[in-house]
Amino acid sequence: MPEWAKLAGVAIIVIGLALKLRPALVVVAAAIVTGLAAGLPLLSQAGQEGVVEMLGRAFAEYRLMTLFLLTLPAIGLAERYGLQQQSARLIRRIRAATVGRLLMVYQLFRVVHGILGIRLNGHPVFVRPLIYPMARGAAGNGLDRDGEEHIKSATSAAENYGNFFGQNLSPAQPGVLLVYGVLSGLGLSISVWRLVLFALPIAIVAVLLGMAQFALLDQRLHESVKR
Amino acid sequence: MNMLLSLDLPYAVTGVLLWLFAGLTWHDLSNRKRVTSASFWFLFGLIFAFGSVLPHRITGFLVLAMVALEGAGLVRAGKPDGPEGMQEEETETRATVLGNRTFIPVLAIPVITVFFAVGFRMAALDVNRGVLIGLAAGSLAAMFIALRLTRAGVPQLLREGHRLNDAMGAVNILPQLLAALGVVFAAAQVGELIARAIQSIVPQDSVFLLVLANCAGMLLFTFVMGNSFAAFPVIAAGITVPLIVKPLGVDPALAGIFTLTAGSSGTLMTMMAANFNIVPVALLNMRDYYGVIRFQLSYAVALWVCHVVLLWAMISLWR
Repeated sequence: MPEWAKLAGVAIIVIGLALKLRPALVVVAAAIVTGLAAGLPLLSQAGQEGVVEMLGRAFAEYRLMTLFLLTLPAIGLAERYGLQQQSARLIRRIRAATVGRLLMVYQLFRVVHGILGIRLNGHPVFVRPLIYPMARGAAGNGLDRDGEEHIKSATSAAENYGNFFGQNLSPAQPGVLLVYGVLSGLGLSISVWRLVLFALPIAIVAVLLGMAQFALLDQRLHESVKR
Repeated sequence: MNMLLSLDLPYAVTGVLLWLFAGLTWHDLSNRKRVTSASFWFLFGLIFAFGSVLPHRITGFLVLAMVALEGAGLVRAGKPDGPEGMQEEETETRATVLGNRTFIPVLAIPVITVFFAVGFRMAALDVNRGVLIGLAAGSLAAMFIALRLTRAGVPQLLREGHRLNDAMGAVNILPQLLAALGVVFAAAQVGELIARAIQSIVPQDSVFLLVLANCAGMLLFTFVMGNSFAAFPVIAAGITVPLIVKPLGVDPALAGIFTLTAGSSGTLMTMMAANFNIVPVALLNMRDYYGVIRFQLSYAVALWVCHVVLLWAMISLWR
């Protein structure tokens, strides 16, 4: 089989998602096709790990990605007792608060997490219970469904922007350690602090671009409410 | 002590929680596929609780069974009570009663998580593990505080968790599944193929084109893997070090960190990064499956272009 046959899995992902097939099914199909095209056995044999075993091993290994399920009961109960309404009420008391400004502050708040060397996934912990309801409250009344959807995607994005580009500002973060480890493995000696130094320009650009996008969002929301 | 410091305990607790969700789904008569849906959550709980001891082949088949159930459309949510499960007036009055105290349980989660992270750092233990154990401890503490504050019972606590879990649905397994796909891609050496293809088409005398190819390769491979950390070793070994750092004498720290975050721009664009781009869609009950990615796209493209220009400018100035 030619080597590029391995790319069939990538093609399956692209086509499957374009056709809006069920993602879980598409992903497993891509994994099996890629594995077989690369000459891996379906089930382990003669000491070579099979695709099924690989799926099982990795799925179990990456359980940490789904630990956030534990947060759901407490957040659900707090929501039942008015968490979202209270968040909205709190933000309405701040006159200068707008959706965009709130998200700028939130992105910076997540960058500070990065500098302190704390890496956590903020969507379940901050965005769903606190930041989205606050943003929704700051937007005020007269928002249509599209506007609401827009605010939802913007709050999720602010989390990602702050998380991704703030985390390399601490030498104890996995991103910096990964680059350090890989480059050392390739025979290059560097210091983690120099990595942090060079992470700074991108972190600054990332914050500025976020501010620009959130300012634009404010403008758009303002216009859609006025109309 | 070792038992407390490993992730097996949080995993086991999550497994039990999933079994409780499965039980609630089993009894949820508003769910048209309640038996198959309950089986799905039961299997997920099984993998969570016993994933460290089950043979990988068994886990693999359990995953395939879950995906088959989901793929056949047999995993559904029950009908929540009210819009997204809540009556406006009901929560409105309760909010007035509790006031700002509703924040206490929710804020307990990040506070305790950070507390554990700092504690693990001071004890010279793995900070990332501290964060995960802290997240579990914080969640349990938050449940306890929420119960005390609201005087609700444990059954209601579980029903509220079940409501949110149902609203998210089978999206919950995507992050782990995509990470597994990444492992298969790595074993199949898909990245090496991409790196070699790029090596063969780039003219090696133009600094700008080399930087462009490096950042484009990283973007492309991160897009496929959904994870810049998985893409970085391949691109660094295939392109960054042999084509940029060594021949041009560029500071490896500069080229390395820029390549990594050029990949992070790619993470913002891909559904393969389900935990960042698809899970929030489910968490916030968005209508557009790609809504978060759509919003991030212009930002990601602009930031990626900044990577290319800045890296090229810094290399040119330094030489």
